[in-house]
Amino acid sequence: MQSMLNQIYINKNVIDAARERMTYIFDEFENVCVSISGGKDSTVLAHLALLEANKRDRRIGIFFLDEEVVYDSTIAQIKYLMSMYPENTVKLWFQIEFNLTNSTSIKDGQLKCWERGKHDLWMRSKEPDSIQYKPWDRTKETIRDKNKGFGFYDALDNFQDSRKDTAFLVGLRATESPNRWRAVSKNPGYKDVYWCTKRKNGSVNFYPLYDWNFHDIWKYIYDAGLKYSKIYDYQYKKGMGLQEIRVSSLIHEKSFKALVELPEFEPKTYDKLMKRIGGIAVGHIYGKDNKMLRARTLPKNLKSWREYRDFLLETYPDVSKRDIFVKRYAKYLDNNYVARQECRQLILNDYENNLPVDNKPDPREETIKKWRELL
Amino acid sequence: MREIKTENCGTFIIPDAPIINTKYGPVKLTSQAAIVVPIELVQANNYNPNSVDSKNMELLRQSIVNNGFCFGVVTVWDADLQKFIVVDGFHRYDIFKTELRAMEISIYVLDQTPAQRMAATVQFNRARGVHQVDLMGDLVRALFEQGEDDTAIAKHLGMELEEVFRLKQITGIAELFKNQTYSRSWEMQEVDDV
Repeated sequence: MQSMLNQIYINKNVIDAARERMTYIFDEFENVCVSISGGKDSTVLAHLALLEANKRDRRIGIFFLDEEVVYDSTIAQIKYLMSMYPENTVKLWFQIEFNLTNSTSIKDGQLKCWERGKHDLWMRSKEPDSIQYKPWDRTKETIRDKNKGFGFYDALDNFQDSRKDTAFLVGLRATESPNRWRAVSKNPGYKDVYWCTKRKNGSVNFYPLYDWNFHDIWKYIYDAGLKYSKIYDYQYKKGMGLQEIRVSSLIHEKSFKALVELPEFEPKTYDKLMKRIGGIAVGHIYGKDNKMLRARTLPKNLKSWREYRDFLLETYPDVSKRDIFVKRYAKYLDNNYVARQECRQLILNDYENNLPVDNKPDPREETIKKWRELL
Repeated sequence: MREIKTENCGTFIIPDAPIINTKYGPVKLTSQAAIVVPIELVQANNYNPNSVDSKNMELLRQSIVNNGFCFGVVTVWDADLQKFIVVDGFHRYDIFKTELRAMEISIYVLDQTPAQRMAATVQFNRARGVHQVDLMGDLVRALFEQGEDDTAIAKHLGMELEEVFRLKQITGIAELFKNQTYSRSWEMQEVDDV
């Protein structure tokens, strides 16, 4: 008889279970730190953690890694969360330089947020009490991808690695990110706890909201009378489904669609963003267009995705990045199914490979072949 | 004053538009130089990328009926075709002609090269604002408070009832979930695989 891991419903609701998880984390760890994004999930998570900290008269870190190019509503939400229980909060608002992909621009494929010497171009000024210099040993700093240089996840990694014996609380939910959930819940990350992953130096990432559904999040926000980012209400008013609304980043390859509605939501943010970096208007006008950025339909002057890919490769404006694509694609199959995905990467400057190519035989060709054999 | 002699429809006299001085130099008040022509002399251009969905076409028709034809169609005279070619205002021209069955229409006649005219079309199409969602919500609520019901608001603003409802909603999204019950919790557990 083999044993396997399964989701088993228990006789509790998600709110009681989450409170018990908080109790557990605070019992086990001296240092607790909540990562917030300004979104609804981390709002609930921070509130639950702050309540527990308040009850125990303890201080916890509230960590926000500021990408600079974000909604004003996000910043308002961060300020709200960081000032909710000041006596229980250690403000960890990071405003340091790191690289972001700007998927809508050919000229400015990368943005260095909070870049030194560009103060007058920043979307807003830095907070007086934010952390503005990397508080870790620079000689031991890790970087995941040398092509990209120091990026968002590197800032996150190095921050977390610089803190020992800490429980990092993250608002991951299984229904929202099933793949990530599956990956993190394979093994217990701490003692017999499955809803966490082990990190270096005795630290652990915990996911106390893993079993929450989106309506539980909203119910909690309503019950606790919490504020939340206005972007959610705007998106709802624009007719988006309750399950698709989210507060995302503004410029990277999975979120540039946010630029389409940005002028209707926050015209000033949009204006500042246009002055800050190239390609923003392209994202605004063509963010949901099937040809321009999403590579869903083939431009009419080209006969196949393979031809389009070769054209894009030949004309790729940043020669230093071009080789990354050439080398990457040499390893892939040369069919139209793969080529369409390659086109999308090229159009969105995805030299980091954040939108990985599903390298397999063209399913359409396979079907045609099968029919040919039959007929 | 300009004269346009047509082969079959006589001569049209285009008055000189008054010119005013601005920070960016003299600007022609072309809006003062409209002329009325038989609608069959007006013709669409063949390059306009603009499209208006059916809902907004209805709104445009309603606007013309309610507010009058406030903006003449911008054209140039094509002597070869013997037509006034639309630079801006194709959709209001279309509604005037096919729905309102008007026999005449007011137009402005620009004097432009083909390249200038294409640029002008895009300038007219694109240089316009969008509605800020929260201010649009305020506007819809103000109409509601002035006694217009949802159906009337939907009709006058060219919206679906659904959009009116959402814009009118001030309580916000969290309120929608107040009567929800919390989901049942679950855990990852080792189970025997039989």
